[in-house]
Amino acid sequence: MNELKIFSIQKNIHEDNVKVANETREELNRQNAYLINVMSSPGSGKTSTLVSTIKALKGEMNIGVIEADVDSDVDARTVMNAGAKAVQMHTGGLCHLDATMARRGIDELGVEDLDLVFLENIGNLICPVGYDTGAMKNIAILSVPEGDDKPLKYPMIFAKVDALIINKIDVMEHFDFNMEVLEERVRKLNKDIKIFPISAKTGEGLSHWTDWVKTEMKRR
Amino acid sequence: MHELGIVYEVIKIVDAFAVENNLIKVDKIILEIGELSQAIPRFIESCYPAAISETAYEDTKLEIITIPATGECRSCHEVFNIIEHRKICPKCQAEDFSLISGQEFNIKEVVAY
Ligand SMILES: Nc1nc2c(ncn2[C@@H]2O[C@H](COP(=O)(O)OP(=O)(O)O)[C@@H](O)[C@H]2O)c(=O)[nH]1
Ligand SMILES: [Mg+2]
Ligand SMILES: [Zn+2]
Ligand SMILES: [Zn+2]
Repeated sequence: MNELKIFSIQKNIHEDNVKVANETREELNRQNAYLINVMSSPGSGKTSTLVSTIKALKGEMNIGVIEADVDSDVDARTVMNAGAKAVQMHTGGLCHLDATMARRGIDELGVEDLDLVFLENIGNLICPVGYDTGAMKNIAILSVPEGDDKPLKYPMIFAKVDALIINKIDVMEHFDFNMEVLEERVRKLNKDIKIFPISAKTGEGLSHWTDWVKTEMKRR
Repeated sequence: MHELGIVYEVIKIVDAFAVENNLIKVDKIILEIGELSQAIPRFIESCYPAAISETAYEDTKLEIITIPATGECRSCHEVFNIIEHRKICPKCQAEDFSLISGQEFNIKEVVAY
């Protein structure tokens, strides 16, 4: 009978994920593709915002989208019709993407001919933000009907993203959503965050967001 | 489910470690999970059997050590459990603290031969 021994591993479970994510970033940099990870609750307007963004920027660059939010290919088809190259991932029931899954999507999409790539992450404010996907920027979308108290309920995502889009400002008057209160709550968690109030539907405010994307792409 | 994916990740890392160190049999895996980690120990325990079933780790036991969520008050430097005290310093009532522990998710060690 062999004797049992204790072997110390002391390994953070996220270490491997960070390693894969860093490799992805290097590869994307080599191919000159800029990846933005888009997170929100279901229905906040990830797909709609991507459609408006694609329409605004497609004259200047080639855009790709990795759709991971829903299993059917409706969103992929929608962004393709707007003028992007797109792939649909089949994530059946998962609640977040890790770097390995994101890499699979990137490889399937093929980024050699792309300048800008969006990852529409799984609709969930809790766990996607815990996983580095290899993106250069992480953004969240909060829509007006969801309420200005979301940063109190889900602080982690607001604390960690580089930019926050407040979508559906066209329906602002029907909701008691206070933009100043929201901004104050968000800045308390993340003082340097960029905040872009937009309407994906009417296009209001969109250029501030697309200008930021272009500036960040040039900056890297 | 969030925890199932995490358990697969644990098995993957342990498996790589076992191969690297020529381990014949892993008797037990010991995890350290912070109270603020995204994984809930009870859920990890409940999906563990499904993750190991029909693998080389079918008989491997799992032990979870919980690490408390502690913070240090930025005003008076009191160290306190931030869940128990609802993020408010019990000594000076300040709400500003720096997190010392609680977000860990580590594979601490394995018992094996
Ligand atoms: N009024 C309004 N509705 C919007 C806006 N953006 C998206 N929607 C609607 O919100 C719903 C969900 O949008 P979608 O882009 O599919 O959200 P996703 O699940 O985050 O991808 C759809 O019915 C959209 O038409 C907006 O700016 N204003
Ligand atoms: Mg969508
Ligand atoms: Zn998850
Ligand atoms: Zn104090």
